[in-house]
Amino acid sequence: MLTHRAVERLINGGLLFYTLAFSIFMLAPILIVVIVAFSANSYVSFPIENWSWRWFQRLYEYRPYFDSFVVTLKLAVLSAFFACLLGVPAALVLSRSRGKFANAVMTFMLSPLSIPSIVLGFAMLFYLSRIGLGVSFISLLIAHVVASIPYIVRTVGGQYRSMTPGFEESAMILGCNGWQTFWYVTFPMIRGAILAGAIFALIISIDNVSLSLFFSSPTTATLPVVMLSYLESSFDPSIAAASTVQLIIAVVLLFVIERLYGLRGITG
Amino acid sequence: MGDGKGATLIGALDAGISVVRRPRRRAIQFVPRSLVLPIVLFLIVFFVLPLAENVFRSFDPETGREHYVKIFTDVYYLEVIAVTLALSLGVTVLCLLIAYPVSYTLVRHSGRWSGVLVFIVIAPLLTSIIMRSFSWLVLLSRQGLVNGVLLDMGLIDRPIRMSAGLLPVTIALVHVMIPFMVLSIAPAIQAINPRLEESARILGASRIRTFLTVTFPLSLDGVATGMILVFMMVNGSFVTLQILGGGAVQTLPLLIYQQFNLTRDFGFGAAMSNVLLAIAIICLWLQISLIQRRGAEAR
Repeated sequence: MLTHRAVERLINGGLLFYTLAFSIFMLAPILIVVIVAFSANSYVSFPIENWSWRWFQRLYEYRPYFDSFVVTLKLAVLSAFFACLLGVPAALVLSRSRGKFANAVMTFMLSPLSIPSIVLGFAMLFYLSRIGLGVSFISLLIAHVVASIPYIVRTVGGQYRSMTPGFEESAMILGCNGWQTFWYVTFPMIRGAILAGAIFALIISIDNVSLSLFFSSPTTATLPVVMLSYLESSFDPSIAAASTVQLIIAVVLLFVIERLYGLRGITG
Repeated sequence: MGDGKGATLIGALDAGISVVRRPRRRAIQFVPRSLVLPIVLFLIVFFVLPLAENVFRSFDPETGREHYVKIFTDVYYLEVIAVTLALSLGVTVLCLLIAYPVSYTLVRHSGRWSGVLVFIVIAPLLTSIIMRSFSWLVLLSRQGLVNGVLLDMGLIDRPIRMSAGLLPVTIALVHVMIPFMVLSIAPAIQAINPRLEESARILGASRIRTFLTVTFPLSLDGVATGMILVFMMVNGSFVTLQILGGGAVQTLPLLIYQQFNLTRDFGFGAAMSNVLLAIAIICLWLQISLIQRRGAEAR
C-alpha cells in the first residue's frame, strides 16, 4: 500500500520527468537546425565533423536568396506601415465604443486570421488579376496588409481598452482640442502597443508562405518561397543558415516587443 | 490562418487581451468615428470581394453546381476531405494530451522556472515554418539523428524511412500547435481559485480525484478554446504538408494549390477553397459563440 506521501512524490516526479521530455521535444528541432547551419559538409549528416561559416556566405552570394531577402524586408516594413495606418485609428474608435455594431466591426477586422491563407491567396490572385494588378509587388503588399491588420487591431485595441480614459478627459477639461489630446496624451500611451503590433505584423509577413506563393515571380519571390522551392530540389545546409538568420531576426524583434509592451498575460 | 506563424503569437495576444475589461461607464470618444471607414472599405474591397468572387467562380456558367457534385460524390475527394478533418482532429487531440500536463505544471508547479518553461513553450513560434519542416526532415531522414539513436540502441536493424508521410506531418504539426494549446489552457487553469482545490483536499479527496472533479472541469473553457484554435489552423495548413507529406497525405489545401499550379482547373479549385472556407467559418462561429458565452458569464 502506497502511503499518501509516496503518491505525492510519484506525481511530482512524474510531472518533472514529463516536463523535461517535453522540453527536449520542443527545443531539439530548433537546435538541430542551428547546428547544421555551421556544418562544413555539402550535405546534411551526423555527427558533424567540420565546422564553417560557408553556408552563411552562400546566403549572400546566391542571388535568389539575397534578392528575395530584400523583397521580404521591403514587403514586411511596408505592409506593417499600411496596416498601422488603417488599423490604429479604427482600433482607437472601436475600443471606446460599445454595442453590437462596434463588436461586429471588431470581429470583422479580426476575421482575416481565421481564413486559411491558401484560400485567401487563391481568391485574391484571381480578383487582383481581374482588376489589373496581377502578379506584382502591389498585389503582394495588399495581401500582406490584409493578413497584418488583425495583429495591429488586436494589440492596439487591447492596450487602449485597458487604459483609463481619465487622462484624456483631464486634457480635454484643461482645454486641449481633440488633436492635441491625441498627440500629447493618447499617442504616447499607445506608442508601445503600436510598435508591438507592427513588429508582430513584420514577423507574420516575413514568415508567410501560403499567400506569397500565389504572387511569386522572379522579382516578387519572398525568401520563404525561394527556400521552399530550393528545398524541393536540393537538401543542403544553406536552408539551415537562412533559417538561423530568420530565427535571429525573430528573437531580436520579440525581445524588442518584450521591452516595449511586455509579453504579459502569457501565463494568464 | 495557414500554418504556424500565420497565426503566430496570437495566442499570446489572446491571453493578454482576455483579462482586459471594458470600462464600465461611457468613455469619451474624441477620435472621429469616421476613421473606421477606410479599413472597412479596404477589407471589403480586398478581402470580402475576392472571397465572394470565388464563390461565383466555383459555379461555372455552363456546368453550374457540377464542381460541388464532384467533390461530394467522388470517393477520391470525399477521402481528401475526410483526411483533412481526421488529421486536424488527430493533431488537436494529441496537442491536448501533451499540452494539458504542461499547462498544469506551468501554472501550479513551475515556481521560479515558469519563465524558462514559457520560453520553451513559445520557442517554436520564433522559428520559420520552413525551418521547422526542414528540422524534421533532418531528424527523421534515413541518416538522421533519430534513426542513428535507434540503431545504436539496437532497437532497429536498419534505418526506417520516416521523413515523408503521415508520421512526420503529425509530429511537425503537433510541435508547432502546442504553444497555442498551452496558451489557451494555462490562463484557464490560472483563473481557478486554488482554494477550491484546497477545500477538496481538506474534505478528503485525493490529489487525482481533486484534479478530475475540480481542476479539470473548471478548465474546460480553455480546453475548448485551444481545441477550436488548433483544429482551425491545422485545417488550413499547407507548407508542413507540402514539405513533409511526400505526396502520401492529400489534404484540401494541398489540392487547392495543385489546382492552381498544376491542373489549372480554377473553377474546381475555387469550389474546393469554398469547402475549406466553410469549415473555417464554422470554427470561427464556434469560437465567437464561446467568447460570447464567456462574456455573458463574466457579467
